[in-house]
Amino acid sequence: MAEMPVLHSRRSLTLRFDIPISKTHEFWNALKEGRFVTTKCSKCGNVSFPPQADCPKCMKNEFVWVNVGPEATLLTFTQVQVAPASFTSNDSYIIAIGEFPGSLKVLAWLEGVEPKKVKPGMKLRVEARASKEGNPYYVFLPN
Amino acid sequence: MSRVAIVGVGHSKFGRRTDVNIAELAFESIKQAVDDAGVDKKDIKNVFLGSAGTWNEESLPAVIVNEYAGLDSVGTMRVEAACASGSAALKSAYNSIVCGEGDVALAVGVEKMSEVDTPTSVELIGRAGSYMWEFENYGMTFPAYYALYAVAHMNKYGTTEEDMARVSVKAHHYGAMNSNAQFQKEITLENALNSQVISWPLKLYDACPLTDGSASVILASEEVAKKLTDTPVWVKGIGYSSDSANLSRRSDYVGLEAAAQAAKRAYSAAKLTPQDIDVATVHDCFTIAELMAYEDLGFCKKGEGAKMIREGQTELGGRIPVNLDGGLKAKGHPIGATGVSMAVEITRQLRGEAGRRQAPIKKGMGLIHNVGGTGHYAYVTILSRN
Repeated sequence: MAEMPVLHSRRSLTLRFDIPISKTHEFWNALKEGRFVTTKCSKCGNVSFPPQADCPKCMKNEFVWVNVGPEATLLTFTQVQVAPASFTSNDSYIIAIGEFPGSLKVLAWLEGVEPKKVKPGMKLRVEARASKEGNPYYVFLPN
Repeated sequence: MSRVAIVGVGHSKFGRRTDVNIAELAFESIKQAVDDAGVDKKDIKNVFLGSAGTWNEESLPAVIVNEYAGLDSVGTMRVEAACASGSAALKSAYNSIVCGEGDVALAVGVEKMSEVDTPTSVELIGRAGSYMWEFENYGMTFPAYYALYAVAHMNKYGTTEEDMARVSVKAHHYGAMNSNAQFQKEITLENALNSQVISWPLKLYDACPLTDGSASVILASEEVAKKLTDTPVWVKGIGYSSDSANLSRRSDYVGLEAAAQAAKRAYSAAKLTPQDIDVATVHDCFTIAELMAYEDLGFCKKGEGAKMIREGQTELGGRIPVNLDGGLKAKGHPIGATGVSMAVEITRQLRGEAGRRQAPIKKGMGLIHNVGGTGHYAYVTILSRN
């Protein structure tokens, strides 16, 4: 179809969210210290990832922080070649889902390995990172 | 429980529709559906608009569309179930009639995706997972989500990139016979396998396009349906379910649990089995999704999706023809319109109006499998000629 006349809107909209993290603040603080933790319900013992203050199993809100890991097994992965607008300045990246003991699964970038050498079943460890703005996050590395 | 039928269908041309705004686009299918049903639009009591939204300038598309089409004072809402918004709208319309809120209801699905640039569109869709844990730091995209499933399926069942490419070849084959399809061109296995990698192992030809489009169905109570038409298509059963937003909370990556649950509930509601289905549309947003759909719907055993496509079991002449309209891959995938578009296709198939793409209708049953997100939502709707 030939291009049709359009009104190129004069109004643009930028959205940036202030995401509340008060209930899981310890997760991000621990990450800054290099520890990877999550929530365990004090009542029913259910371990959640992502961490959450309210237990999705028994709905109680008493919990303790527990260490995750140390070693995960890679379940599946992909290499993103066409990135979203806010990631187009990044090189292509590998996304992996790793499973820790107790069936706890985590999705993160996988770094430090050639894409062609990534295989389901390989062993992974998690490592803390900080964005250039100082926001903590975590990645997988081959273990 | 009272019976409800589809009595009118309409479908816009799908594609890059820079010639119309969202209301004009929706109107195209609404007008066709009203004419097809032979109803007075004043008799439409309620309108359910399926649209995931955010790609275009209008925040409240239901009222914008109703105003443009002169659907005054109707009970209305926008219905959101991501890529299954259309099926959710159909279900809402069905419910309104069962609940006695009116004898005639309209389900319209519409999406206008081409008003923003492609990277922005990729971003809007990529954010539709679990934003905080999957997008903020990791830039997930929809191809990436389905690629995680593809790799797991390949690893567990030996499904290959070529198997996935076959789904694309089939989609384009039937898309070439559908005048409403975005892509009406045959492709070869080599075209598909050699196309650009977007999120390994998925390539451009494994992925549905960004699409503008609308589709409409008019539903009526049994009493009104029988007055309006000799070929009512009955809503026989609807099943719907959901799963976690965060992929890390799913039990595995080789099928969509929400879709398997929805299918089970739909078969149960319709008192049917997979063997009773003559023709189906499945949610092939990515080629791997079609192979998993065969399995989740019970068309084959778990892990045998690739075998079905290799053996041509889902082509015309095969055991159960699937996506004879070209599917999301070739027909296009205007998010909120897709579920309604599938209902239009199955209605036409059951009425025997699909022309060169007509499936043999033996038991009179057609199935719609519509997934929202990466299995966040799933709707399975069974339609019947009887």
